[in-house]
Amino acid sequence: MFRKSLRLVAAAGALFALAGAPASATEFKPYGRGSFAELRKQHAGRPLVVHFWSVTCPPCLAELPDWAKIASERKSLDIVFVNADLDNDRPRAQSRIDKAGLSNLVQYGFADDFVERLYFEADKSWRGELPFTALIGADGALVTVTGAVDDPLIANWFERAGK
Amino acid sequence: MRTLALVLLAGIIATPASAEDQAPATDQGAQNHRDHMVHAAAPPACAEAKPRCAQTAEPTFAKDGRLWLAFSVGDKVYAASSRDDGQNFDSAVVAATATGGVIDANGEARPKIVALADGALLVSYTARPEKSYNGTISIARSTDGGKSFSAARPLIDGAGQRFDIFLASPDGRLYAAWLDKRDAEEAGKSGKDFAGSGIAVGWSDDGGKTFAGKKILLDHSCECCRVSAALDRDGLPVFAWRHVFGTNSRDHYVAKLSADGAELLGGRVSEDEWATSCPHHGPSLAIDSAGAWHVVWFTNGKARKGLFYAKSVDGGKSFSEPAKFGDDGRAPSHAALLSANGHLYRAWKEFDGTTTSILAQISRDAGMAWSAPRVIASTTGASDHPLLIEHKGAAYLSWLTHEQGYRLLPLPREQAAATTRARAAVALTGK
Repeated sequence: MFRKSLRLVAAAGALFALAGAPASATEFKPYGRGSFAELRKQHAGRPLVVHFWSVTCPPCLAELPDWAKIASERKSLDIVFVNADLDNDRPRAQSRIDKAGLSNLVQYGFADDFVERLYFEADKSWRGELPFTALIGADGALVTVTGAVDDPLIANWFERAGK
Repeated sequence: MRTLALVLLAGIIATPASAEDQAPATDQGAQNHRDHMVHAAAPPACAEAKPRCAQTAEPTFAKDGRLWLAFSVGDKVYAASSRDDGQNFDSAVVAATATGGVIDANGEARPKIVALADGALLVSYTARPEKSYNGTISIARSTDGGKSFSAARPLIDGAGQRFDIFLASPDGRLYAAWLDKRDAEEAGKSGKDFAGSGIAVGWSDDGGKTFAGKKILLDHSCECCRVSAALDRDGLPVFAWRHVFGTNSRDHYVAKLSADGAELLGGRVSEDEWATSCPHHGPSLAIDSAGAWHVVWFTNGKARKGLFYAKSVDGGKSFSEPAKFGDDGRAPSHAALLSANGHLYRAWKEFDGTTTSILAQISRDAGMAWSAPRVIASTTGASDHPLLIEHKGAAYLSWLTHEQGYRLLPLPREQAAATTRARAAVALTGK
């Protein structure tokens, strides 16, 4: 169960890269314990959006084009996508990301089945409901939003974070 | 990346890779992700036909007292039985091999197993095709005590069904319910907006060989949460699920199948004011011997957030005021509810940042008062949802964890009995 195909996915990715696969193919970096803090560290001083989604979450899929629009309009924001599915759904996730025109964003995929811990690290009260978006200001202030991208909390944060 | 590629090209793919090796680098993006690494190693690969290698394990007790589990590893659904209440399992039998895509095997949607009164076993699973989150529910049967299973057959021709649940009534009828997107697809073809899925019900009088009904009885269920089911006193099934009310209000619905199988009759549990979201976090239903419907659910609405309990004594026309349980500081989740031998039991998960614990409470007065929550089991790794199952009048926690494997732990009814009956570290007690 537990992530057995991860190495094979990595292997396939590596071989594709060597074979000169098109740059549009999405690669998912492993998102595990400590990744949320690591992302915050890497993006310290810049507004960061970490968006969690799943291929089995219809509202997540419906708003992928909205995210593509946001990414193209708000270049000053660092936007990172995290796919919360298991390995065996990653090909589906990849095709959704590519179709929505989001493959130029940094993509992560859950690489640890201890999902409670991954949720907890982003928000102690998060129980995995999706879509889920963590908004981290340039000053490090964290706001988390469960629900669609048109939530006023997200829109207001974008306005404050700038273009 | 270069290192990883070289290792792979050298043909040492089977060598256990460290988490660092697994991190694929990329030239894309200006961000500084090249050095990002996962701090904790991913769990070791496990692909054996054993419950501990599965994401989920669904239990049922057969008439001969054996405990059966259904679980999936890779593209196979297995059934395994235990003669000692889950301490040891015989070699698992392949019940089905999925050909139509990935098997749904997470806390919410998972392979199921039902033991029928005549000794037959029925295993179901949902396979999701490559390009869709729709699925096909398939059923395999065994009539030789689980030694072999028939070829799996789809419950419905065509795709669009997930989140199946089965329930055997005392009169021998087997009920099935599932979330069904046929109406949603029809609406989509004519360009109409359609919220969610529908809830469909079928029934079998030949031990699951064929099902009648199979119609969508109520449209606009949510589409990513489990359905829960329990039998009412008259043997008819009652179902609980998350539903889309109005344009986009997500709350819970509990309804009973009418005697003619044509309607689902019940009502809304609460008004939590929760709009769009996919919690992957369905309710649990239990019905007591007096016919009261009890339900537990998770919500993250504006009106209330957390785990809640309510009951209806008028067939779902009205529900009691939602009563919160669980420690909000520990993200309580995935509650299960069971009525057994005159008592109500509820169990749920909590997480403190390191350890996932299963807590449980008992009510001896049909949900009015509950005992103090007690930790029944815990783990520091990945785990399935907690399930409650009744056997010979006793209540058990059924729980699969990556670290400890599968466990069946009795929830004692009496405080005095707790010390002798509980194998858990801490027993559930009364007042």
